[in-house]
Amino acid sequence: MNATGTRPHGILAEFDTTAGILDAAIRCRDAGYTKWDVYTPFPIHGMDDAMGVKKSMVGWFTFVGGVTGFTTGMTMIWFMNKFDYGLVVGGKPLFTPLFAFPVSYELTILLGAFATLFGMLFLNGLPRLHNPLLANARFKRASDDRFFICIESEDPKYSEEATRAFLSERCHANAVEIVEA
Amino acid sequence: MKTLTTLIKPLLAVLGLSLAMVLGAGRLSAEDAPKAPVASHGDSHGEAKAAHGGGDHSHAGAAPSFARVFGHRYLTAYMFCLSLCMGSLFLIFIHHLFDASWSVPVRRVAEQLASLLFPWMAVLLIPILVLQKDIYPWLTIDPATDHALDVKKVLFNQKGFNVLLPALVLSWGLIAHTFRRWSLAQDKDGAAIWTRKSRVLAAGGIFYFALSLTLGCFYLMKSLQHQFFSTMYGVYYFAGSVWTTLVTVWVIVIWLKDKGTLAQVVHRRQIQDIGVWFFAFTVFYAYIHFSQYFLIWNAAIPEETFWYVRREHGAWKWVGFTILFGHFFVPFLTLLNQDVKLNKTIMLPMAAWAWLMHYVDMTFNVMPVCFPEGPEFSLLDPVLWFGMAGFLGFMFLKNFGSAAPYPLRDPRLKEAVTHHEIPAAGAVQSHH
Repeated sequence: MNATGTRPHGILAEFDTTAGILDAAIRCRDAGYTKWDVYTPFPIHGMDDAMGVKKSMVGWFTFVGGVTGFTTGMTMIWFMNKFDYGLVVGGKPLFTPLFAFPVSYELTILLGAFATLFGMLFLNGLPRLHNPLLANARFKRASDDRFFICIESEDPKYSEEATRAFLSERCHANAVEIVEA
Repeated sequence: MKTLTTLIKPLLAVLGLSLAMVLGAGRLSAEDAPKAPVASHGDSHGEAKAAHGGGDHSHAGAAPSFARVFGHRYLTAYMFCLSLCMGSLFLIFIHHLFDASWSVPVRRVAEQLASLLFPWMAVLLIPILVLQKDIYPWLTIDPATDHALDVKKVLFNQKGFNVLLPALVLSWGLIAHTFRRWSLAQDKDGAAIWTRKSRVLAAGGIFYFALSLTLGCFYLMKSLQHQFFSTMYGVYYFAGSVWTTLVTVWVIVIWLKDKGTLAQVVHRRQIQDIGVWFFAFTVFYAYIHFSQYFLIWNAAIPEETFWYVRREHGAWKWVGFTILFGHFFVPFLTLLNQDVKLNKTIMLPMAAWAWLMHYVDMTFNVMPVCFPEGPEFSLLDPVLWFGMAGFLGFMFLKNFGSAAPYPLRDPRLKEAVTHHEIPAAGAVQSHH
């Protein structure tokens, strides 16, 4: 709790080099923080590992979407061309996976892509109307020339004094400040 | 020693599978023997005959001569080995075309593999040239009596075959050796000009590569049934070739990394990316082969369908299914998971499986000409296949030892090696 009695969003630390932020990310990872994130103007190679980010689950959404698309395509064509209203086209059988394949294949890609996109949004908790960081003046440079780490107050290891000291002393942050909720 | 056993295991698996096939096929052919194999040629050939008025001379009804059968078995093994060389040549082309950095540490493997084109693939071509009249039925037909051959005689004539085919193989060898020579020259002086020259060669050469590979493949394999039309045939061979090459490069790179030769320069990224590429070509091959089949099936023109009709006849149908499931579904579903591409326990058997599947694919293309009823395996198959591949493997190792194991002074080497490397905490010079 701070002076106004509300719980802050977290503690924001600013860095001005990629090496600095990589090093800090590794320290945060090793210190056991779980509710934190890194904000940089451009992708930094190796950041995933430095942060200890696990493999995304989004592939499973893609897989399920793809399988659904494939089965939908096959079933749809079987239903329409053979079961519901048998129609001879070009002297071919009423149904064979051969001519149903291009459509099923396209549906595999389409539903796979949709599942990937929406699965990603779901896993990221998006869309989200507001993030307290966006109201922070210092944070505006995250899209320009500064690198940030924000450890959120929901983190079990969060403690206003210890976390602040950790970021400025152990991680050598340029500046550290509280982000109001 | 551990790496040796991991390498031997898939080889044993291949050997075991081949043995099983030899034994299985023996039973199969024994069962089929009483049925007159001669009569059954009719259905597929009748169509071609009707369409061309010339008739198919590929068999006169009698059992194929030993020279023909041997020639075809040899050709199957040759096409398999050619795949690895041409696939490697393609990897070099792509590396330079895209100015890639990630593949610098593994490029030397591809260069040395592709360099087997000369002299070895050229030397190994000689038996095919010697046995040409036995292997290729069209070489013994008078075009005046065969419409299909008559319209294709611009390419399908003896002079064209004997001049163009060796010229193609020699030209591939020349390109491969040029890339290798420039790459080795850069090892000495580190000059960027070699990279630039390679890029120019790659930019022009890729067109020649595509056209010449298609032409070579038409001469070597498609002309076995000269009536056949398929503009996709070259791409089809190409897709299977690069697929097999990628998994081979994966195995070689892992082996060299474990051995320590490439330990300093090959990281997770290279292994992962070769695996991803192998996965991509699993899909690409299936896409191309399905497209060829589907278009022919859909159009239902006898000049094209007879090729697949023959391959759906008798036991060949099951070989076709083996390719459908073994060449596509099994690797596709296995490789779907990202982590598999880094997993030796899965990837090494997968490599053995891929080699087997590509060999089955080559068999599917070549052998139905001799054996319309289904594959008839003999010990010659593994002998020729392992013999040729083993000899080339030996030459590869010999060549590989004669030069640096990776491009030592490539301008992009540092980028390839340091990119994605994760520093330990405190290792990075932090601000202050």
